[in-house]
Amino acid sequence: MAAAIFYYGGTSNVAWLYLLSYWIVALVVVAYVYAMWNRGLQAGLRVRGSESGEGSPLEALPERILAVGPAVPVFEGDRMQVELRIESGRGTRGPARISGSIGAEALAAATGVIPKQGWVEVRAIGPLRRGPVGARGWVLESGDPLGLFRYQGPGVDSELTLVLPRFAALADRSWPKEVEAGLAAPRAGSGTEMFGVREYRPGDPLRRIHWRSSARHGELIVREFEPPGVQVVGIFCDPAPPTPEAADQIARLAASEAWDCLRGGGRVALWAPGAGPTRPNESRSLWAVLEWLARYPGLAAPRGGASAGSGRVGEVDSSPPAVGDAIFVVAAKSEQIDEALGGIRRRGGSVRGWVVGDAQLDSDVPMQRAGLDWPL
Amino acid sequence: MRLRLPVSPVESSLEGRAFVFSGFAVAVLAVVLYGQDYVVPAVAVAATAIGHVVSYRERGEKRGTRRQVLLAGLVFAALAYFLADSVGAIFGGVLPQANFAILLVAITSFDLKSRRNCYSSLWISLAILYLAAVYAWDYPFGILVGLWAVCLAGFWAASHLRRMQARVSLPAKPVAAALGAALALGVIAFVFIPQANLEPSGPTLVSLPSYVGFRGEMENPALPLIQLSGDPSGSTTSVDLHYRGRLGDAPVMYVRTGAPAYWRGLVFDTYANGVWTASNHEFSILQPYVPPQLLPPAPPNNNGTFVQVFRVARPLPGVISAAYPIQSLYAPVSALREDAYGTFRTPDLLRPGQTYSVVSYLPNLTPAELRGDPYVFNAPNENPAYLATGSLSNQARKLAVQVTRDHSSNEYDLVMALTAYLQQNFEYTQQLGHVPPGRDPVDWFLFDVKKGYCEQFATAEVMMLRSLGIPARLATGYSTGEYNPVLDQAIVRERDAHAWVEVWFANHGWVPVDPSPGFPALAATQFPNHWAAAGLARLLPHLTIGGPLAALGSLGALAVIPPAVALALLVTLMWAWFRRRQRRSAVARRAPPGESELLVLYERVQRRLGRRRAPPETPLEYMQAPLAGPLRPGEVGLLEDLTEAVNEGAYAGRWPDRQRVRELSKRLS
Repeated sequence: MAAAIFYYGGTSNVAWLYLLSYWIVALVVVAYVYAMWNRGLQAGLRVRGSESGEGSPLEALPERILAVGPAVPVFEGDRMQVELRIESGRGTRGPARISGSIGAEALAAATGVIPKQGWVEVRAIGPLRRGPVGARGWVLESGDPLGLFRYQGPGVDSELTLVLPRFAALADRSWPKEVEAGLAAPRAGSGTEMFGVREYRPGDPLRRIHWRSSARHGELIVREFEPPGVQVVGIFCDPAPPTPEAADQIARLAASEAWDCLRGGGRVALWAPGAGPTRPNESRSLWAVLEWLARYPGLAAPRGGASAGSGRVGEVDSSPPAVGDAIFVVAAKSEQIDEALGGIRRRGGSVRGWVVGDAQLDSDVPMQRAGLDWPL
Repeated sequence: MRLRLPVSPVESSLEGRAFVFSGFAVAVLAVVLYGQDYVVPAVAVAATAIGHVVSYRERGEKRGTRRQVLLAGLVFAALAYFLADSVGAIFGGVLPQANFAILLVAITSFDLKSRRNCYSSLWISLAILYLAAVYAWDYPFGILVGLWAVCLAGFWAASHLRRMQARVSLPAKPVAAALGAALALGVIAFVFIPQANLEPSGPTLVSLPSYVGFRGEMENPALPLIQLSGDPSGSTTSVDLHYRGRLGDAPVMYVRTGAPAYWRGLVFDTYANGVWTASNHEFSILQPYVPPQLLPPAPPNNNGTFVQVFRVARPLPGVISAAYPIQSLYAPVSALREDAYGTFRTPDLLRPGQTYSVVSYLPNLTPAELRGDPYVFNAPNENPAYLATGSLSNQARKLAVQVTRDHSSNEYDLVMALTAYLQQNFEYTQQLGHVPPGRDPVDWFLFDVKKGYCEQFATAEVMMLRSLGIPARLATGYSTGEYNPVLDQAIVRERDAHAWVEVWFANHGWVPVDPSPGFPALAATQFPNHWAAAGLARLLPHLTIGGPLAALGSLGALAVIPPAVALALLVTLMWAWFRRRQRRSAVARRAPPGESELLVLYERVQRRLGRRRAPPETPLEYMQAPLAGPLRPGEVGLLEDLTEAVNEGAYAGRWPDRQRVRELSKRLS
């Protein structure tokens, strides 16, 4: 354009056109310098908070548990607030644009001015599905105000958060008496060695109340002792759910069972054939269980056992954990699970399970059926 | 296969549209200020404002057929207006092209949906600005050009930010600095980069044609300001040396030109009894646009062509004053008449505001070139008047021979010898008495008063050249005037009316020669250095930009040393400044917040109190020690707070933040 104006100036001898063409060229030159000056920005993504969806377990979790969990726990169905941040570190800059996708949602935000203390914009995303939420394809672009030059900064791809499965207490549901008795969680006071405190639940002996902690927390707190007779409850999940929805439901049921067990003072070990079980030292951690289930079935072997997924199975310890009792949650028959359950039963452990969907399992193990709807 | 432009995005930036409208308003303002055109611009600006609002509101909607038809009809109506105004002058506008463009913007402003649409509107406003630029004769016009450039940048920025989905806000100081730098850079480039001298694409068409026909055999006077012989209405073609009109300072015409030149008008070949007349009254009628094919070819070794746009400032005779020889010309009249001497005339007087454009050759008239021309013994065009000496006295003939005796090796040297003689031995004055009755004006000039004005000098030289057998004639018109090489324009005033000599050279035709003292003897033989700096330097007394350059040039290859040293010095200074700035900022980054500011403030307070803290003295001891004078109530509290803050910083490492220091500083002031 400047060349055209310059040419017209040269052929018409209207000197003002030279000046205008020089100004346009100067604008371009200055825009380039400005774009160079505007480089060196840093972008960041952070989960700032979450908005609980209807039925989110977040509301039901006690403060004590929330305190040891992730800074911003996000459950499926929740909406999360993502903070898009651009920092200059060298004084006021701008403009800049950050764009990419979080999960399946494309996001972009831009600003003309980046103050010295940085620029932040918060976007709500959701409702979210269970599983890791990755930030992919994120690009930070800076340039000149005229849009003539653009500089692309380093990407900020990362795993932003892990959306945990929903769960609910299943203890109130009717079970065959013998199964319930076999899986009843041990109560506080049944051991000799104190290993922690927890909130008071009806039925706890008054002598176990830890008055100092109760006074500090404003609620009754009881000492909890290592229950010597309690065994770890294993929750065995289907290694290859047929659909993502079935996988979600399996994860929810497993989380609910784990929650019932843990809040009763028990321990939980999760396992799926082809995937490593949860670590023994995390058997009392609700968050470790939920994180394992959030990634489920990411490390599970395909249906058909070790032969079908030999390459992946060999990477992890896929043997079932040593547990006293077990609960299986499957959508279809799994030989490895059957085998693991058989071993438990042979050792005298009790076994029950959940079947998601309409699959027919040829087994005498007590089981319940669940569809894909949640809550049950 | 259909050729289609890529889809342009919908322009959603309100600010961007505001800049587009502002650019248009600036261009219209330029037309109003410099074209003295008011009605159409005023109506169009109002309509355009409404159109932009409508376009913005309906930017997301599909274009309706009815509106498209209506707008197309309005465009054709504007075109009809343009043609009617151009052909019949029925609206009396000054700038029909500009008015048409203004109306076009106003109409299309109701349909600006995409970014490309907005760009189109902006480009039309640029065309309007260009038309106004042809009429602009002063530097303040640069402000309008700068404003338009800012509008362009604003549109770019606003549209870009909107596409980024960002609010239209930018760092104020850096952007202001960048914009200022761009404007300064543009001005520097304009000043220091030689302007390109490209081949003119043709005469510039900016004026409204006048379709007044020739009336009878009327001939307008050439220069009513300098000779008033015969009928003052202008029905004569003569220059009478017995009279001299008064010449004022009022502008006669403005000339936008690629090179300074004499603006030649009428030519006279017959001199008798102190009066010049034209002997040949033949003419041919031509169309308003005279293409190069209808005019004589380029002179030998031609340097190029340059365009001139003349804007008439006061009523003038219908004579096309221009640099000769002419390559092509356009005058907004019904027809042009070319006389036997190559001068073009219009049917009627040239009115104020009227413009015409001429493309002229710049012949190569260097002495070396002209010295190669042989003597001419025959009158050109077989017109004996070019050699007629009439009533020239023998005394004058002898003087001519005497002056040129030692310079007769070639025609050029002979002509220059006579020219130099007149320039060096006669005084130029416009305060000249009347020629005594019966005395020939040439003899009176040469031998009696020995002073005169341009007609006396030119007439004497023409007649003396003719007496030596060299064809010559009198040319009249205007000298260059007040030429501005920065803007490539000249302001021609009444006092610039001039007369000079045209001498016939065998290979170069009529060559202008000026014997008047104070004027260059030969016309410019090359394009001026289109270096605005040279023009600006002229504005400063005693500063010639060519001096240092000439001094450098005399050094030969060593000339690179001074600029290299200067450049190295500049780079070193800039590097030192940059390093210093970096160090300062690094120190500032390392320093705890507010430390340096607090200590500076503490120093100020000590100065205010009249006693500096001794090195071994702690802040607390300093506060408790007797001071030079009693403290005012506010100072007591401030000193206590400052002492506490300094103590906390120095001994506990808790320096206050800058905001806190600013609060303390405010209390001090």
